[in-house]
Amino acid sequence: MAFASRLWGRARARATATAASQSKSAFARQFTNYLIRYVSWLPPLIWFNTYVAQVTFINGPSMYPFLNSTYNESTKRDLCLVYKLYAQQNLERGMCVTFRSPTDPDKIVVKRIVGLEGDIVRTKPPYPNEYIRVPEGHIWVEGDGDKSRDSNYYGPISARLVTGQITHILLPFSKAGRVRWWEHQHRTGIQRAA
Amino acid sequence: MSFRYFRPLIGHPFKGVLFTAKFLAFAHLCLEYGYSTAPAAGPSMLPTFDILGDWVLVSKRHRYGRDVSVGDLVAYSIPINEDLGVKRVLGLPGDYVMIDTPESGSEAMIQVPQGHCWIVGDNLTASRDSRLFGPVPLALIRGKVIAKIKPFAEFKWIENPLKRPDHQ
Repeated sequence: MAFASRLWGRARARATATAASQSKSAFARQFTNYLIRYVSWLPPLIWFNTYVAQVTFINGPSMYPFLNSTYNESTKRDLCLVYKLYAQQNLERGMCVTFRSPTDPDKIVVKRIVGLEGDIVRTKPPYPNEYIRVPEGHIWVEGDGDKSRDSNYYGPISARLVTGQITHILLPFSKAGRVRWWEHQHRTGIQRAA
Repeated sequence: MSFRYFRPLIGHPFKGVLFTAKFLAFAHLCLEYGYSTAPAAGPSMLPTFDILGDWVLVSKRHRYGRDVSVGDLVAYSIPINEDLGVKRVLGLPGDYVMIDTPESGSEAMIQVPQGHCWIVGDNLTASRDSRLFGPVPLALIRGKVIAKIKPFAEFKWIENPLKRPDHQ
């Protein structure tokens, strides 16, 4: 505490001192002060967005009709709350999760969990085998819509790729509220392991 | 520097807590996007790293497989459990690699799929790697190993051992 306050005091003193010595203008001093005050909030903000929760727009039709219900009528996108704390734990069938795409590491995609590890899944067309057992530590994800590039395309994905769970829809207002994933009708062709 | 800079902090415990939180978040940012350390434990990397006690410096600039090339050592999230591993990249998207160990007699090959890489340990007989769990998504790569930092006496920079023939 004392150490922290000493550091803070020294940083502020140095900032004001350099600003004063360089230009001696009140503007520069004030500017540096404001810079320290506001920029120092960036790291906590980034930490919060990476590990606790994030608000994000959903792109594309892969979760139609659940998300982006009007994707073929308007350019409106749904606004969702992504909860990121312990997101890789307690995954359940029916949850909507965000994860880094296995085919493009810079893209984060939203899909619904269809099968957990050990489940036997009857796959859909692009997949070469008709049945597959989801391997250890992996999940089988599918989009709700037809236009979805999901596990039927790239196979089961590692649960380590999961970055968050969609817990709330914020916009549009008509749909706003908790995502009731436990009430989701599961598709046929899943033999549960447990 | 005078006492007046301390005065807002002393007597305001909340400000002290806030400062600590901001500082920790900043430190975390440096570890997440700058450099961090990781233990290289286990027999899988034996000639390069010892079984126990070796620590490596990881450059997070190469997270998600950015600018990683064949022959680099990477730290990655093991896809089938909760741990972190250090292995060598043997193949990048589009490359053909052998599925099994050369001594096994099988010569089956696989083309590494888009967005994945093939990762193996240096000690092939005691390594659980892509031969067990298949190609690893580049998104699971945490960073590139750039130096061995512990034990201190054995500090060394780690370079890609693959060299072009014309560079010799």
